[in-house]
Amino acid sequence: MSGGGNIFRIVINAAVFILLEVAALVMLSHNGEMQKTWIAKGMHGVYAFFWGGAETVKDYFSLRKQNDMLAEENFRLNKVIREYRMLTGTDIRPDTVPDILGGYRFVHADAVKVSNNKQHNYIILDKGAKDGIEELSGVMTDRGVIGIIDAVGQNFSYARSFKNTGMSVSARLGKEGPVGELMWDGVSSNGAVLKEIPHHIVLHQGDTVYTSGFSAIFPADIPLGVTGEATVVNGSTYDIDVTLFEDFSAIRYVTIVSNTYDEEIAELEGENEE
Amino acid sequence: MKSSQNSILTYILLVLAQILICNFINTGPYVFLTLLPVLILCLPLSIPSIPLMLIAAVSGLAVDWLAEGVTGLNMAAAVPVAFIRNPVARALFGEDQMERGEGFSFRKNGILKISAAILICTSVFLAIYIFLDSAGTRTFLFNLLRFAISLSCGYILAIPVINLLTSGEKK
Repeated sequence: MSGGGNIFRIVINAAVFILLEVAALVMLSHNGEMQKTWIAKGMHGVYAFFWGGAETVKDYFSLRKQNDMLAEENFRLNKVIREYRMLTGTDIRPDTVPDILGGYRFVHADAVKVSNNKQHNYIILDKGAKDGIEELSGVMTDRGVIGIIDAVGQNFSYARSFKNTGMSVSARLGKEGPVGELMWDGVSSNGAVLKEIPHHIVLHQGDTVYTSGFSAIFPADIPLGVTGEATVVNGSTYDIDVTLFEDFSAIRYVTIVSNTYDEEIAELEGENEE
Repeated sequence: MKSSQNSILTYILLVLAQILICNFINTGPYVFLTLLPVLILCLPLSIPSIPLMLIAAVSGLAVDWLAEGVTGLNMAAAVPVAFIRNPVARALFGEDQMERGEGFSFRKNGILKISAAILICTSVFLAIYIFLDSAGTRTFLFNLLRFAISLSCGYILAIPVINLLTSGEKK
C-alpha cells in the first residue's frame, strides 16, 4: 500500500478506536456510580486546563473594568476602616486579622472559567484541596453569593453557580425581616426570586435582601440584591422579584468561605433526625 | 469454511466461559480472571483492525451485560487490545506471517513469542480494567498487586486457551 494510503488507514483506525473508547466511557459513566463521579472530576480538570488559557487572554482585555471595580471596593473598605477608627479610636493591623472570622474561614480565589448561558451554570476556581478547600464551601464576593463548591481537585475547584435552576440560598428581607428562599429566576443575568415570604409582611420596593446565615454555608448579612415587584402565591406567601447586586458576567475575583463548625452542626442535625 | 465456523463457535463458547467465570467464580479482590485479551489475540490474523475492534467491543459488551460488571468496563479494556493486536503480531510473528494471513501456534512460533504476545495483550487489558474499575478509590499499591496477580493467573489460563484455539494450525 502507498504511504498516503497507510496514513489514511492509521487515521481511520485511530478514529474508530477513539469513538469506541468514548462510547465505552460514556456507558461506564452512566452505569457505575463511582466511575460517574470519577470521570466527572477528571473532566472538570480537563476543562480547567483548557479554559484556563482562554480565560487568561479574556481577563487581559477586561483588566480596565476589573481595576475600576477594585478601586471602588478599595474606597468602600477605606471608608469602613475610617469609621472603625473613629468609633474605637484604634487602628486595624492587617497582619493581626485572622483567616477565620466568626466561625468562617475565608480564602481568596480567581475564577478560571465562568459559565453563564445555560440553565445549569458553573464556575471553576483556581484553588483546590492543596489550599484547604472542601466540598460544600460557599463562593461569594462583597456583592453577593456566587455559588457552592461541588467538587475539589488538587489545584482547582468546581462550583455550582447561583445561576442554576434548583439552587437556592436562605435569604432575609432586610436585616431583621422574614426569611425565605432566594432562587435565580432562570432568565435574566441578575434576576432572582425571593420565595415563601409570609403574606402579612408589609413590603417596600427597593428593600435590601441579605443572606440569613441559616444555611451554615454562607455567613449572615451579605447583601444580595434589592426587592422589586411582589406576587401573591396560593393566597398565603409572596414571591418577590430581586435584582442582584452581582454581575455574573464580570466575575473574576471571589472569596471561598467555609464554616469551621459545619461538622459539629451536621452531627447535631444527624442526632436529632435519628 | 468448516474450520472458520469452528473458530467462530469456539470463540463464542469462550466468551460464554468468560461470562460464567465473572458470574460464578469468586476469586476475591486481588484476582481478576479474564479470557478476553487472549480471545482477541487468537482471532485470525487476516482480520483488519477495524472489524477486530468491533468484535472486541461486542464481546466486551456481552460480558458487561451478561455478567455482574458495570456496562462499558470490559468494552473499554477490550478495544485497546484489538487496536494493538495487529501491530504486536506483526512485530512478534513477522510481516510474512501477517501477509499470508496464517495463524500462529506454539509449534510454529515458539513459546517465547506467544508468551510475549499474551503478556502484552493481557497487560494492556488489565491496566485499563483495573484503572477504570478502581475509579480512583483504591491505592496504587493495591492496584499494582491486583495487576501482578491477575496477570500471572491470566497467563496460566491463556496457555490452554491458545492451545485450544490454535490446535488447527499446521506446523
